[in-house]
Amino acid sequence: MRGWTRGRGLLVLPAVLVLLAFTVLPLCIMAYVSVLERGTYGGVEWGRHTLDAYVAFLFERDLDDSLVLNPDYLKIFARSFGLAAFTTALCLTIGLPTALYMATRAPKRRNLLVFLVTIPFWTNLLVRTYAWILLLRNNGLIDKGLHDLGLASGPLDLLYTPFAIMIGLTYTFLPFMVLPVYASLEKLDWRLVEAAMDLGATRVTAFRRVVLPLSLPGVVAGMVLVFVPCLGAYVAPELLGGAKVLMIGNLIQSQFGAARNWPFGAALAFALLAIVLLAMAFYALRFGAAPGEEKGR
Amino acid sequence: MGAITIRDVTRRFAGEGQAVLALDGVSLDIDEGAFFTLLGPSGCGKTTLLRIIAGFERPDRGAVRLDGADLVDLPPWRRPVNTVFQSYALFPHMSVLGNVAFGLEMQGVAAALRGERAREALRLVRLEDLAGRRPAQLSGGQQQRVALARALAVRPKVLLLDEPLSALDLKLRKEMQLELKRLKAATGITFVFVTHDQEEALTMSDRIAVMEGGHVLQVGSPREIYEEPAHRFVAGFIGETNFLEGEVAGEGVVRLKGGGRIAAAGLPASGSVTLAVRPERVALVAAEGAQLRGRVLQVVYIGTDSTVMLDTGTDEPFTVRVQNREGGWQPPSPGSTVGVAVPADAARVVAG
Ligand SMILES: Nc1ncnc2c1ncn2[C@@H]1O[C@H](COP(=O)(O)OP(=O)(O)OP(=O)(O)O)[C@@H](O)[C@H]1O
Ligand SMILES: [Mg+2]
Repeated sequence: MRGWTRGRGLLVLPAVLVLLAFTVLPLCIMAYVSVLERGTYGGVEWGRHTLDAYVAFLFERDLDDSLVLNPDYLKIFARSFGLAAFTTALCLTIGLPTALYMATRAPKRRNLLVFLVTIPFWTNLLVRTYAWILLLRNNGLIDKGLHDLGLASGPLDLLYTPFAIMIGLTYTFLPFMVLPVYASLEKLDWRLVEAAMDLGATRVTAFRRVVLPLSLPGVVAGMVLVFVPCLGAYVAPELLGGAKVLMIGNLIQSQFGAARNWPFGAALAFALLAIVLLAMAFYALRFGAAPGEEKGR
Repeated sequence: MGAITIRDVTRRFAGEGQAVLALDGVSLDIDEGAFFTLLGPSGCGKTTLLRIIAGFERPDRGAVRLDGADLVDLPPWRRPVNTVFQSYALFPHMSVLGNVAFGLEMQGVAAALRGERAREALRLVRLEDLAGRRPAQLSGGQQQRVALARALAVRPKVLLLDEPLSALDLKLRKEMQLELKRLKAATGITFVFVTHDQEEALTMSDRIAVMEGGHVLQVGSPREIYEEPAHRFVAGFIGETNFLEGEVAGEGVVRLKGGGRIAAAGLPASGSVTLAVRPERVALVAAEGAQLRGRVLQVVYIGTDSTVMLDTGTDEPFTVRVQNREGGWQPPSPGSTVGVAVPADAARVVAG
């Protein structure tokens, strides 16, 4: 190898060390915790191994100690996936036109718009979510406003519903959709759009046949960046869903908190991780080649 | 089919600080089936004019008609006009065949027929073997030809080409020039070609419009543009030219500023004039009794010709081009004084 390129691997060393210490190591600890017996007052009984936690995810023990299928946790998983999927779709619906608008402005203007998109990050997530409580609650801004306009009667009960969670999640994760989509649209060669229109494509067709396929990496990145954290979201379901609507994140939290069942919490976290990894692997295999690259023919 | 009329087209861009007048009252008639070239220096408005014909820009004022029908209000996708972009603008996510078939698909041509016609267009540019490749897997010249095939596949009435050869190396450029001429003959489509290369314009075109600063200065055949430039800028931009300033001193005679009297045709009755003289149209003669005299500054050998630079008492050196025939010619030594014979039809009065 050429001498001067040899040391380059060292450049990633800090990142590797940080990942090992703060991601891989905790994951290993969690994996171990999930196969231990639970301690009576939280914590675990070190050295006493059992797969109870994984069994408890799908089954519960009847009075006569036989296992019966218990779909409660699966339902929470399904609800989380549904909410995450809806949120992702909503973010895409709002984020794609936004990114398109931003990418077609003059360069100076774009920087300002990117800056505006990132402004919510400047305020603490909890504060922003509490703001939504004020907006959504009965007699809050939206409820009262609609009443005053004569568009609604009786309390709307917007807060503490899956709908409220979805609003909160969409609000929180929208920038994660807008920014990657914008990044890929910004790189797009708009002369290609002119070429398409020159060849007879209307604006809509040119968008569908040229802009969308070429910005797909950004769209996919945005969808992953919204969907995955939505699945494990904790703040929005906790505050906007009240105690009524549980999502995976809250379930896991309650196992480490009130339920004092650490192994079960760890097992739930691993079940979530496994599902996400499987989904990503499926995606990589199915749509692996980036657009513009040759798919094996 | 494919005759373009441009009347008084004006386009202003609001630039940083001050507005740019990219086109200022441009009028042109482009005959059907012509190879028409827009020639001019960078920034003179060639691309803007082409984009107005294609429909990507709107003129602030003026009319653009195709076969008598007004184009200005038609969006680009409804115009029977196609463009070969300088950057080629091939769709990177489609195969070569997909690129060429795209326009046909937009026209609603059935899939089977579409493939056939796209292949036919690829055959026209001799690329049928590469139909399955992606644009990124092609050389510059091949991409150029795909762009041509893509624009020709939909059988437009007019083909617009914006400096399509400027990114190619010299050899490939010569090849593509011939290729374009061949395609033009094979299809009968009107070609509107943009270039800032005067030699390319002269060799390719039926007619040339020379543009500068948003104006069309002169329109004519390559021969007219070269031999009868009407404007100082045209004479200077195309080929080499000597400019001589002087006063009209009687019937058909000009007294030059730097000394000397030469005959010229088409002179006004009186006043000062600028004459354009091509270096290859004049001859070196003995100094005694010559119309124009000069001191030899430099003799440059350039293969087929030699260039002799003379100081004739003006700011700019006067250039004479002499063909290097076998044995015949003994170059004058620098510092010596020689005479120049200027035939009356070699000195042209130019405006500006
Ligand atoms: N979108 C635009 N906004 C502002 N000014 C523009 C725009 N397009 C063109 N211009 C200006 O209009 C003038 C003509 O530009 P145009 O692109 O037509 O020149 P051109 O003859 O094609 O030059 P080149 O040979 O460099 O391609 C230039 O001064 C250019 O800066
Ligand atoms: Mg240009």
